[in-house]
Amino acid sequence: MPPRRGPGGRRLLVALLALGLLASVLPWWLDTPAGSLKTTAATVTAAGRITGLVAGYLLLVQVLMMSRLPVLERWIGGEQLARWHRDVGATLLVAVLAHAALILVGYADLEGNPVLTEAGVLLRDYEDMVSAFAAAGLLVLIGFTSVRAIRRVLPYELWHFLHLASYLALLLGFGHQFSNGAQLFRPGPVRTLWIAMYVLVVAALLWGRVVAPLAFNLRHRLRVADVVAESPDTISIYLTGERLGELDLLGGQFFRWRFLTRGCWWQSHPFSVSAAANDRWLRLTVKVVGAHTRDLRDLDPGTRVWAEGPSGTFTAAHRVRDRALLIAGGSGITPIRAMLEELPPGSALIYRARTPADVLLHRELDWLAQARDVRIWYVIGSRHDPGPREVLSPDGLRRLVPDLAGRDVYLCGPPGLVAQSLAALRRAGVPRRQVHLATFEL
Amino acid sequence: MRRALLAITGLAASTTALVVLKSAPGASQVAQDLPAEAQPAVPGGAAPAGAETSAAPSASAAAPKPSRSAARAPATRPSPTSGARTPSARKTSSKPAQPTTRTVTGPVVENEYGNVQVQITLSGSRIVDAVALELPEDTAQSDQRSRQVDDTYSGTSGLVVELQGADLDTVSGATATSTAYRQSLQAALDRAS
Repeated sequence: MPPRRGPGGRRLLVALLALGLLASVLPWWLDTPAGSLKTTAATVTAAGRITGLVAGYLLLVQVLMMSRLPVLERWIGGEQLARWHRDVGATLLVAVLAHAALILVGYADLEGNPVLTEAGVLLRDYEDMVSAFAAAGLLVLIGFTSVRAIRRVLPYELWHFLHLASYLALLLGFGHQFSNGAQLFRPGPVRTLWIAMYVLVVAALLWGRVVAPLAFNLRHRLRVADVVAESPDTISIYLTGERLGELDLLGGQFFRWRFLTRGCWWQSHPFSVSAAANDRWLRLTVKVVGAHTRDLRDLDPGTRVWAEGPSGTFTAAHRVRDRALLIAGGSGITPIRAMLEELPPGSALIYRARTPADVLLHRELDWLAQARDVRIWYVIGSRHDPGPREVLSPDGLRRLVPDLAGRDVYLCGPPGLVAQSLAALRRAGVPRRQVHLATFEL
Repeated sequence: MRRALLAITGLAASTTALVVLKSAPGASQVAQDLPAEAQPAVPGGAAPAGAETSAAPSASAAAPKPSRSAARAPATRPSPTSGARTPSARKTSSKPAQPTTRTVTGPVVENEYGNVQVQITLSGSRIVDAVALELPEDTAQSDQRSRQVDDTYSGTSGLVVELQGADLDTVSGATATSTAYRQSLQAALDRAS
């Protein structure tokens, strides 16, 4: 059983990021004498500066959270980081828009120009403002295409490509902060520290996206060993490699996989590992839902695999109580199957599948039920059918697992099942911190 | 999504709170403002001989931030305060033919970008140096303009010393600051004569 990894790492990071936010506004606070904001122009400009400092800082936080830095991926987990990235992203969008609007209005008032004329003046007379406007435009575009309703109707590639352009926004927005930023244009400690923040984030990016994956893949050299059908629409891919015994992998974690074949090498997809770490093989179990996963069925043994990870906090090490209830839907069983080997005996598993043929890894689960004293209920049918609905109600859950409120609950499955279970668990009195989710729901 | 809304509300609320907090005059600021406002009333008392000593405290009171022009290049330009001037003044005064140098400070002139205050050093009736004690520097743009005005007008080899008066060409692109500079300079000249 892995030692517990408490929420300490996450709390530390949240505290550090909050402190950083305060510190980034501090230069403005110290530079502005009390009572100096007498005119409307001065007040509006001041608000524009604050939002500008906040936006500059949040942009760096956004990039840092997506840097794939191993320590972040293990302490916070890719899913949690993605949720934070979404929420901070919305805030960043508002901060950027507010910064641009307030500075424009404030400067227009200060120099006695109409707002549109002032926009022209800013673009023409101020250094680096053309690129700053471009950066703001890019960030707004990225922000809007990430709004859930809009993102769903866009092709994934367009959204992804735009998101890649945020590196460009980082670069384009860099100059104007130092040529025009009231707190940053003079050489001094504030300017130096601000540049240092940029250097740190770029270093984290290089480490997480280039150095760490390179080191990992040179060390383990993963290859496809076999592809096995688990059900009509689900496959397991077995991988072998070097030094697999040294992998720092917990059951329930995932890698981002890149299969180096002609058609697949350019896309990377997160899949959970579906068995606990051992020194001979790795396995991922994948439901065939799209073009990419269809191609995976035809992988030849020996194909090289590029992996980034492991990532995730959906593991036995992140439990806060001694016993666990696991709720899986469909192919959501894969991380839970891996985790069962590492949870203390006495866990309970509710596994909903559409038909008996959709029950994956059946024999392994029955073996685990015996070896690790796991009680398993297979619930067959759609979640709208009476049977599954009854089981996934607060009373149904309590009947199956009377000590529910004292257990960690691990949830993995389709969004509908997760939402339904979350509501039932809340009404059954399970504290939120005992509930663990493995969804990339954005 | 709920967290994002909370964060956005927090951003708006804290920005407003910060601005409001800074708009309220603090206790220490009132004390700083008083001498600055009272300063234009004093100059009559600042007789040419005594101007040198009276200039120092009023300059520091009028500029809560350290003046850029004074702080930027102390080595290249004689310091406006008495410290560096006094020894040379004493040396020159031993020669009977040389007139004594004195420093006269102009009033603070306000324009829409900030405050301008000019100090001149005279040797007899000749202007030997001009220094801007305060210039607008709130935005990078006005800082840049101020620097242009300062570089053109001020210094031992600037336009003020060259033309020996306040009848100076406006620095293009920095009309308001140039005008305020000339006003403060003219007042200092009037005060000196």
